[in-house]
Amino acid sequence: MTEHDDHDLGERFHALRREDAAAAPPLRATLTAARARPHHRRPGGAAVATALALVALVLILTLRSRHGGTVDLAGVRVRTPTDFLLHVPGAELLRTVPRFTFDWRVLQ
Amino acid sequence: MSPEALERELDQLHSAAFGWALACCAGDRAAAEDALQASYLKILDGRARFDGRASFRTWLFSVVRYTAAGLRRRAALRRWLPLAVLGATPDGRPDAATMLARADATRRLTAALDTLPGRQREVLHLVFYQDLTIAEAAEVAGVSLGTARTHYERGKAALRKLLKEEPE
Repeated sequence: MTEHDDHDLGERFHALRREDAAAAPPLRATLTAARARPHHRRPGGAAVATALALVALVLILTLRSRHGGTVDLAGVRVRTPTDFLLHVPGAELLRTVPRFTFDWRVLQ
Repeated sequence: MSPEALERELDQLHSAAFGWALACCAGDRAAAEDALQASYLKILDGRARFDGRASFRTWLFSVVRYTAAGLRRRAALRRWLPLAVLGATPDGRPDAATMLARADATRRLTAALDTLPGRQREVLHLVFYQDLTIAEAAEVAGVSLGTARTHYERGKAALRKLLKEEPE
């Protein structure tokens, strides 16, 4: 890019600046409007308060669910997901002793 | 800085600040006025303080840029929420009155600028319109000097191409 091109671009921007300056609202009016605006609280304040309330709620619910009721461990039967692997085909036959008659017939 | 001194500084930079606010609000005059008012309010009630680390102009432009971005985010949120009570929301496009008031050459320039990525547009505006150095533009845009220089060079090349493609 040559300096001439830069100068040309500068001229275009300066023309834009002159147009904007002519259309700019007076400072006095802008300041008056600015002072008339409601003074907002910091926008982050509400978000922080909501986040803190949520964290507190989650903590309370978690602690309550942990310490809320006592569990009688003696009455609990644990079923692991791999229980089925211990069930081999014909296992029930091993838990009972077959009874035979004298001629080797199996009694039911 | 005393309130009187602040107002004097604002008086000197007011039209430049308005031009910058227009650039930050994509040419939407109502949004630019809103951003400028909110920026001045922040300055006058002390929420934005000038600490003298940068020039007053680059600091003011940073405040306007930050405020306009905040208002844009809020406007975007309002468009998603059915909260008519919060009022009309600017859509981030130049309003018809502003476009009609522009001369042909400047209209072509703004139309070409609108097609550039935001950062390139910002840096070009700050350098060519506001006569800031690239280092000052980097400070206002919140980017490193190298990044600003890249945006400046790429933006300038893209803008020159776009303006050449446009029929005179």
